Amino acid sequence: MSASQINSGLDFLRDVFREASVLWWRFFDWLAVVEWRQLALTWFLAFMVCAPLNMPEPAFWYMIVSFGVKVLAGGKRKAELMAKEATTQANIATLERRLMEAQMAALQAQVEPHFLFNTLALIGQLIETDPPEAARVHAHLIEYLRSTLPQMRARDGGTLGKQVELSKAYLSIMQARMKERLNVRFEVPDFLGSAPFPPMMLQTLIENSIKHGLEPKIAGGTVTVRAYVDGVTLHVEVCDDGVGIDPHADDGIGLANIRERLQLLYGANAELVIQMPPSGGACALIKLPYKMMETA
Amino acid sequence: MMTETTGRALTAMIADDEAPMRDLLRARLASVWPELKIVAEAANGVEAVALGEQHRPDIAFLDIRMPGMSGIEAARQLYQRSHIVFATAYDQYALDAFEQGALDYLLKPVSAERLATTCERVRNRMKVPFPAQPDIGQQLAKLTSMLEHRSQEKAKTAYLRWIQAQVGSSLRMVSTREVLFFQSDEKYTRVQTASAEFLIRKTLKELAEELDPDEFWRIHRSTLVRVDAIGEVARDLRGRQMLKIRNQPFELEVSRNHTYLFQQM
Repeated sequence: MSASQINSGLDFLRDVFREASVLWWRFFDWLAVVEWRQLALTWFLAFMVCAPLNMPEPAFWYMIVSFGVKVLAGGKRKAELMAKEATTQANIATLERRLMEAQMAALQAQVEPHFLFNTLALIGQLIETDPPEAARVHAHLIEYLRSTLPQMRARDGGTLGKQVELSKAYLSIMQARMKERLNVRFEVPDFLGSAPFPPMMLQTLIENSIKHGLEPKIAGGTVTVRAYVDGVTLHVEVCDDGVGIDPHADDGIGLANIRERLQLLYGANAELVIQMPPSGGACALIKLPYKMMETA
Repeated sequence: MMTETTGRALTAMIADDEAPMRDLLRARLASVWPELKIVAEAANGVEAVALGEQHRPDIAFLDIRMPGMSGIEAARQLYQRSHIVFATAYDQYALDAFEQGALDYLLKPVSAERLATTCERVRNRMKVPFPAQPDIGQQLAKLTSMLEHRSQEKAKTAYLRWIQAQVGSSLRMVSTREVLFFQSDEKYTRVQTASAEFLIRKTLKELAEELDPDEFWRIHRSTLVRVDAIGEVARDLRGRQMLKIRNQPFELEVSRNHTYLFQQM
């Protein structure tokens, strides 16, 4: 027998052993939590199966082993499982607290005084020169501010459609200020409007694009928001053709926030990808599991 | 220049990246100082300097935050020919500096009363030989370094914050916060994150120099590890110190030269 055959044989044995130990522990867990009368029912069934075959030993051994294990280790195992359950609960509580913190941090990071003062200055100016436009910008500002309040957000902010709508309020304000220096393109199909999407992520990416990509660029540029489904994954992408990312620039509280929240909400199933395409500018892409709509 | 100002109408330039703000200032100036002639309007700092040199206005109204070049940097190139008036909607630090240095400034949106006061002051200043304040250059230099320093604290650091990895035709930007460790291979450096692995050409030596030494530690000739990602360090059967990455299946060897990092207290 060659060495490779021996090796593959050993691998096979190792796999079998691993599988057996997984099954054993699953059986162990089940024993620990199963009720006595259900266990007694399985004993009865085992005898029913084995007795006609005239070999009651396996059923007998099953009874002895399961009884012994349940009496001796069941209590401890049950406590362990309950502890695990409690930990999961605690994790959910942590997640909720973190989300709240993230929202508060987002709020503080989002409504920066510069933006607020400049927009108010613009409204003040438009009141004299173009009152209807002043009213429009004013309405957008209110909508934007409302979207940044955690209490307001919790209600029905959790769909992609709502997030797009709120982002449009911010973009309208920035367009009123930057005029032809800012172009906006939305490529979000209507059917994705009901897909669940965490609040304040899209806005953060759009604000980053404008603040770090387009505002420093003399000619300005275009922000493109794109959403599509690829298999079971929802892709939401914000691209700009601005100055790109300086490798020494701090990635800021905003992106770290998004990354952490995606991790807490979806674990390894979600991801934030930042890229600089060959054509220039920067792209931020959020990937997360696609669901048609909020399920209870 | 002073002799000229008495003979002809004074000229001015307005620089602001937001068109509505230029419109407002122009309209206000027309009502509080009708004789003042607006000879140029600039939409960014670079344009402001170019137009300022071309038209040589007596007064330059400069917004502080403009793309290309800030109003303060532009002022440093223009102050010897033009009297500078800054405009801003919000810039706490700059406003303090303006007050201390007796520089002229306007708060946006510009009110007629405030503009009238400022214009009156500028008119008085124009009566004395130009430049009215010989130390204005120094003040502007100080202001520039102060604002640069402040923005450095907030947004820009001396350390590398993004790792650039070529993925297809795009450049993937990996935040250093995502990186668990760097490990040098023969030709490349491997960048490991929780979800992916990238190969970059930057050497470990270069990375060690550019990264924040408090963020990444060198634990081996060929390994840099993120301090936050360290789970535990234990000795294996052969007596080597092995470092485990928190919540991840990675184990890294700590070389003898670096075991001091994990000595017990």
